[in-house]
Amino acid sequence: MADKGTDPVQMWHTFLADMEKQFNSFSNQAMGSEEFSRAMGQMTGASAGAKKAFGDFMERYLAAMNLPSRSELVDLGERLHAIEGRLNDVMSLLQRVHADVVAADATATGVPRPPRTRRPPSQTGGKT
Amino acid sequence: MTAAARQQSSSVADRVQLEVQRAIQRSIKGVEYFGSAAPVVGTTPKDVLLSRGTMKLYHYRPLASEIYRVPILFVMATTNRGYVLDMVPGQSLVEFLLKRGFDVYMLDWTAPRPEERGLKFEDYVLGFIPDCVRRVQQDSGETDVSIIGYCFGGVLSLMYASIHADGPLKNLVCFTTPVDFRQMKLFQNFSDRRYFDVDRLVDSVGNVPPEMILSSFEMLRPASRPIGQITLWENMWNDEFVKGFRTFDRWAQDILPLAGEYFRQTTKDLMWDNKLYERTMTVGGRRADISRIKVPILHAVAEHDHIVPYDAAKPLIATVGSADKEEIMLKGGHISLVAGPNAVKRLWPKLDSWLSERST
Repeated sequence: MADKGTDPVQMWHTFLADMEKQFNSFSNQAMGSEEFSRAMGQMTGASAGAKKAFGDFMERYLAAMNLPSRSELVDLGERLHAIEGRLNDVMSLLQRVHADVVAADATATGVPRPPRTRRPPSQTGGKT
Repeated sequence: MTAAARQQSSSVADRVQLEVQRAIQRSIKGVEYFGSAAPVVGTTPKDVLLSRGTMKLYHYRPLASEIYRVPILFVMATTNRGYVLDMVPGQSLVEFLLKRGFDVYMLDWTAPRPEERGLKFEDYVLGFIPDCVRRVQQDSGETDVSIIGYCFGGVLSLMYASIHADGPLKNLVCFTTPVDFRQMKLFQNFSDRRYFDVDRLVDSVGNVPPEMILSSFEMLRPASRPIGQITLWENMWNDEFVKGFRTFDRWAQDILPLAGEYFRQTTKDLMWDNKLYERTMTVGGRRADISRIKVPILHAVAEHDHIVPYDAAKPLIATVGSADKEEIMLKGGHISLVAGPNAVKRLWPKLDSWLSERST
């Protein structure tokens, strides 16, 4: 294999790493300025305002067309997601109850949990 | 031709052959990449103990035949999913701790719903965390609980620990947790109070969208994403690299929205007034002064953390009132501190030895 100094692939990797570092450092310097803060603040405010105005307009338009808006669909999706979550909880509970029943049948003492008696290696001569 | 020249020529030929083979593999695997499903993560067996809106409490099933007395509760950062701590078997901090004999619970978050836009620090620090601690106590049958908070999960854990200084917390571990928010220079600039109208933003959008949060993270290192894509393409022949890249990339892009009021408080109380550092923070009228924390505490910070710079995290150990306190600085960044090959070698064994001595 070519040594690291002359290996073109290695040189390419070094170039990429240096470029990433330099570009990040340059960008961080630029983003540290007051002008950047002002521009970003204005942009965020304007984009939030525009988003709200457009959202309100679309909501009225879709309501007039008797169609659900995006937020209503998102809300519906989230509710479905919540129902799925609840179903998962019920499934998990059922599985635990089932495991309880199986274990109770087997041992008649309920689900065994490991004893909480473990000691750190320093107190057991390094044994874990 | 001399022997040296012959060797040089043969090594160049080998290199060219290797690169041609990799180029072919890239083309084949590149097509597979776009057609394949996302990697499955967070597979360590667990049960849901509590689920309420944005909050979810999991209990991981023990993997050791004998466990330490004190259970561990992870408190995840509110912007990210908890599966970063349970990526894939062999790369999962949760699985590692279970195998080392700990009883592990996790307070994880889902996207807050539009009607949860009013959630505040009060809900997280005086509601969600204490509810989970109570549930962990009930489930484990133990009074003592250790908490591990990651990033902003660490901030919430610090607030909880300072307000509930008389128990039941046994140990506190923070991973890369900011205290002095003035030192988060770029975030300070993004949220400069002279130009950033947080009220207008929250009043307009309700919950802060994940795209906005992701952009602000990516802006900290704008070149890293495109360079990451180039690196991915170069390593497309390497299945292990691609698997690891996809797992982490999926997590990094899987950002949660933030509840509007919570974001407003974070901006005003922490970014603008730096109340945690100034020790003037209150939550629901109760002082959250971190100097009141007296339990054993470990703070793990990353040497190259671009999200929480060391200067922002440094005052934590200096300010808490604990006699048993330790800060460790490890090589790596904000994410590689807790997950990935570096974490397996560095943070995990340290965490195991620190906690095991304090969990009996």
